[in-house]
Amino acid sequence: MTHAALHAAATLTPTMHTTGAFSFTWLLVVIPLTSATVLLLGGRRTNSWGHLLGVAAPVASFVLGLILFAQLIGKPASERSFDNHLFSWTFVGNFKAPANFQIDPLSISFVLLITGVGSLIHVYSVGYMAHDPGRRRFFAYMNLFVSAMLLLVLADNYLALYVGWEGVGLASYLLIGFWYHKPSARTAATKAFVVNRVGDFGLSLAVMLMFATFGSFTFTNVFGAAGSADHATMTAIGLLLLLGACAKSAQVPLQSWLGDAMEGPTPVSALIHAATMVTAGVYLVARSAPIFNVTPTARLAVTVVGAVTLLFGAIIGCAKDDIKKALAASTMSQIGYMMLAVGLGPAGYAFGIAHLLTHGFFKAGLFLGAGSVMHGMNDEVDMRRFGGLGKYMPWTFATFGLGYLAIIGFPGLSGWFTKDAIIEAAYHKGGTSGYLLGSAALVGVVLTAYYMTRVMLMTFFGEKRWAEDAHPHESPEVMKWPMVILAIGSVGLGYLLVLGSRFADFLAPVVGKAEDTAFKPIGLVGILTFVVMLAGIGVAYLQYGRRRVPAVAPVAGPLVVAARHDLLGDAFNESVFMRPGQYLTRLLVFFDYRGIDGFVNGFAAFIGGTSSRFRRVQTGFVRSYALSMFGGAVVLVAALLLVRG
Amino acid sequence: MSPAIAHVAAALLPGAADPTTSFPTPHLDYRALLPMLIVGGVATLGVLVEAFVPRGKRGITQTVLALGGLVAAMVAVVSNTSIRNITAEGAISVDGPTLFIQGTVIAVSIGALLLIADRALASDADFAAQAADVPGSAAEQASVRAGFVHTEVFPLAMFAVAGMLLFPAANDLITMFVGLEVLSLPLYLLAGMARRRRLLSQEAALKYFLLGAFSSAFFVYGMALVYGYAGSVKFADIATALSSSTHGDPLIIVGLALLGIALIFKLSGAPFHWWTPDVYQGAPTPITAFMAAGTKIAAFGALMRVLFVAFGGLSWDWRPIIWGVAIVTMVVGAVIGVTQTDVKRLLAYSSIAHAGFLLTAVGGITVGTADSESSVLFYLVAYGFMTIGAFAIVMLVRDADGEANHLSRWVGLGRRSPLIAGIFAFFLLAFAGLPPTSGLWAKVAVFKAAYEGGAAPLVIVGMLASAVTAYYYVRIIVLMFFQEPAVDGPTVLAPTVFTSAAVVIGVAATLVLGIVPQPLLDLAGKAVPFLR
Amino acid sequence: MSPTFYLYLSAILFTIGTLGVLLRRNAIVVFMCIELMLNATNLALVTFSRINGTLDGQVMAFFVMVVAAAEVVVGLAIIVSVFRTRRSASVDDANLLKY
Repeated sequence: MTHAALHAAATLTPTMHTTGAFSFTWLLVVIPLTSATVLLLGGRRTNSWGHLLGVAAPVASFVLGLILFAQLIGKPASERSFDNHLFSWTFVGNFKAPANFQIDPLSISFVLLITGVGSLIHVYSVGYMAHDPGRRRFFAYMNLFVSAMLLLVLADNYLALYVGWEGVGLASYLLIGFWYHKPSARTAATKAFVVNRVGDFGLSLAVMLMFATFGSFTFTNVFGAAGSADHATMTAIGLLLLLGACAKSAQVPLQSWLGDAMEGPTPVSALIHAATMVTAGVYLVARSAPIFNVTPTARLAVTVVGAVTLLFGAIIGCAKDDIKKALAASTMSQIGYMMLAVGLGPAGYAFGIAHLLTHGFFKAGLFLGAGSVMHGMNDEVDMRRFGGLGKYMPWTFATFGLGYLAIIGFPGLSGWFTKDAIIEAAYHKGGTSGYLLGSAALVGVVLTAYYMTRVMLMTFFGEKRWAEDAHPHESPEVMKWPMVILAIGSVGLGYLLVLGSRFADFLAPVVGKAEDTAFKPIGLVGILTFVVMLAGIGVAYLQYGRRRVPAVAPVAGPLVVAARHDLLGDAFNESVFMRPGQYLTRLLVFFDYRGIDGFVNGFAAFIGGTSSRFRRVQTGFVRSYALSMFGGAVVLVAALLLVRG
Repeated sequence: MSPAIAHVAAALLPGAADPTTSFPTPHLDYRALLPMLIVGGVATLGVLVEAFVPRGKRGITQTVLALGGLVAAMVAVVSNTSIRNITAEGAISVDGPTLFIQGTVIAVSIGALLLIADRALASDADFAAQAADVPGSAAEQASVRAGFVHTEVFPLAMFAVAGMLLFPAANDLITMFVGLEVLSLPLYLLAGMARRRRLLSQEAALKYFLLGAFSSAFFVYGMALVYGYAGSVKFADIATALSSSTHGDPLIIVGLALLGIALIFKLSGAPFHWWTPDVYQGAPTPITAFMAAGTKIAAFGALMRVLFVAFGGLSWDWRPIIWGVAIVTMVVGAVIGVTQTDVKRLLAYSSIAHAGFLLTAVGGITVGTADSESSVLFYLVAYGFMTIGAFAIVMLVRDADGEANHLSRWVGLGRRSPLIAGIFAFFLLAFAGLPPTSGLWAKVAVFKAAYEGGAAPLVIVGMLASAVTAYYYVRIIVLMFFQEPAVDGPTVLAPTVFTSAAVVIGVAATLVLGIVPQPLLDLAGKAVPFLR
Repeated sequence: MSPTFYLYLSAILFTIGTLGVLLRRNAIVVFMCIELMLNATNLALVTFSRINGTLDGQVMAFFVMVVAAAEVVVGLAIIVSVFRTRRSASVDDANLLKY
């Protein structure tokens, strides 16, 4: 990575005291938050119209986001950053925590993704959750999530970002455990929360370290001083930020919660665990670009994590029979691609974010399609009970198919543009690491093609392996049209973004740019990718398209068995962290009871005893009070004279 | 010779001046003195109301008059915020801290007055029917049956407020003495005016009076010694005299000590705190609220002015003493409060502990440190409002024969009246210094100022004492919410509009200052430099 | 005759007054001792006024006298009401508020 490329990094200084549309930036966060508050406090009274308010809020934010976007691109590239100052939560000394929102190319991209895809999913949920008595509560939590996620991406300082980070974690917990009468859902929600806590711990340490080093939380201050700080500190901050990102984005080693998170309703999986929340980690790394630019070690760690996860997720996805869990593993893998890209430095930030945006569309579309299939099949999730649904659910089949083509990287669709750009950038890095990373990404392409084709074949083609009472039918209009729009995005967005390095230029003021970013569709890497993709499709077709799909998962070798159990992620966590942790806890509890409580109780008893003895000094006699006063006066005078002497 | 004294001397002493020449009038900045004049005027009018207004209308008239006067005084203080001058021929200094403290005193007094009005106008008033009646006599029963209430509490309270406004503003010792006495004498009487448990109330008045007069005598003698040393009692002159001498003369040191004794007595510092538990427990609760909040605020203003303006030159001498007093005060307030069983007495020990915390900031001062002075001002505001609120709640918990003050009667209050118990718990948390109340920021500010002034041992003791006081606050909360109520427990009165207003003001102030303390901290910071 | 003797006298009076407050039981006598302390102060003020050559001290003595008079009013009212209630002027009898 050349120095020139590194120094082509962020040079935007935000405009404070914004006027015009930008001074309404705070509404983006406040509208969904107000809607959530109304729906939660309003209670059952709002059940009849709650879902309408719940849809209106993100739509309103989306419209505002479009207005801000239009205003932003009207400005010259070097001025595209606007701060919206709300208030300063200053207390002691120089601990300033300003509540500011910032609109710049990076944040507006996320705003449009979150509110746009979010609105579509909200509309879809009106139909999907139509028979659920808790629908209003669902929309309240979804709006809460949208608000917190917007806060996360719009914050102009790490403290506000952390508040948004925690907010999305809370919303995720509430939504995964939405059907709280199911023990599995409750467990999954707790598991997600606990694993995310580990990441939050990393992020909060990073933020504290930043404050200790730079004395400020704001991006401007931290990034401005990043170059001059101690190298070891910066590496530590980078690695801690990576830890936070790993948990939120379900990267190895904190990936175990994502599969279980599928317990939540499908729109939740679509919005939170596909399009937006899990991408928060990628956002964090991209936003912290100036920090990562100065620590090659942390960047290397990011790319390694991305590469490992992309393979990890892909392998798991090959063995899952639950359609949602297969898509979840796919998400894990695709985010691995994004992490790989943003770990490459200025050469890869734009591609990682571009893939994030296109992934948002096609993965959300895939999940909504899966939801549509489940809706038509009485909430069945086991793909071994599907088959031949293409004829019965044509719209779902079509939109799911387009999403499938996008994710495997079929030429012309959005995924091809963005994924291939990442693979190219990985090889372009040069050296052994570049070669290894690129090859890992290529292997990922094979596996992705394989497992996604498997999903398509098992679900929509072949013989019907349905349960007795299944009547598959197409979904209602309110669920259909969001899927259609997302499919259109899956097709067209890539072209829009990547061609002519349009997006890279757009993001350059924030994250920097490498010299050579024009997308070359027909190159050695491009052809290689296409070939391996076909190979993956072919193998899947041979296994599932030609032969009958067994109704029960067949006995298989150790790798497949491990993949069915999430590559033993849970077992690993349990043996390495949980059991030793429990022993440690028991030890500490013992020490706490005997040692610390003993000391505290002893101290309290001492105070109590002293108090009982000394309260008798207040005898009730005025003269003894006067005597004590006189005694005190003598002592005071004597002391003062002594001190003077 | 100071001009003020010169005028009097010229007029009175024979042969000192030709009586046909014009009498040089003193120059008074009426605008700066307006708050004190308003309150004093209202107090005097109150006395006239007592004389001329028919008995049935007295209560309402007095209430309206007093409240109106206080509001007008507050307006006057606020409109004076830009004034910084020493007026009344050098006797009164109207500077930033004065205005801040006067504003705080008036705000707190409005709260206390609402409580007094509530208890004076209620049908089961807390004030004596006729204070001169012997308790338990037929005369007392006759007065009670006739529905008498001692509405003189209003002008007395107004005189006390006038004294509280004068006390921190005084720029020489004699004016300070006058302020001290104007502040204290009505309070001695007010403490004795309860309707129920009159023995306790009279005893409280007696003790307060004897000990207060004792300490005032020390004050005056100290003033005399200081006068002997400096040739004048004006603070500026004292400071000049100190700066021009090589080292502290025993005369001035003893004078300072004696002055300090009286000031520390007024703010309930150990070892002069003995009156506080008894008087707070015996006095009628609205008066206790008034004393606990207003007196302490005024006394701290005066203490800071005396120590910084007049005796700034001796700061290395009085600092260790303040350290010692602060530590003993905090320890006494914290430790002895632990085994108290009467809620008013417990709050009295708690206010002693708070005085100790405030003294830590004073002890961390190297003269003129803006942070210490402004932190004390902030703490006083926070403390004043939470005290008024807490005592307002205490007023509402009643038995058949008056207030139920023993903690055993408060058990399980949370189940019967969750709102009242909840508000009281909120105030207790504010006393303990927990977020999101103003108590947290007050303690942070004060301890930070002490630490930065080099008084780290004080901060350590302060934190330990805070922990101990937190015990007895939380004990009450546990008692209220986590234990079963007694079958024949006390009732909680539905608060009238007066008490509700006072409680709402207290809660609002504590909560708002807890969430956004910065504006008030900035205001205190701007108020700070004492005029010399 | 040096004015400092008056200062010694004032100090002695002040001490006698203090001891009286501490040692006597009758409330009226205690109060009289407090008045004695205040008068000792007056003496000191006047003496210092003489020593310093200014008149301030004498005027301040007036202030103190006036305030002492007001204090007497209040104090006697309280003491008399306590006496009427308890039929005893002993300060030690007023000890219900304690511990």
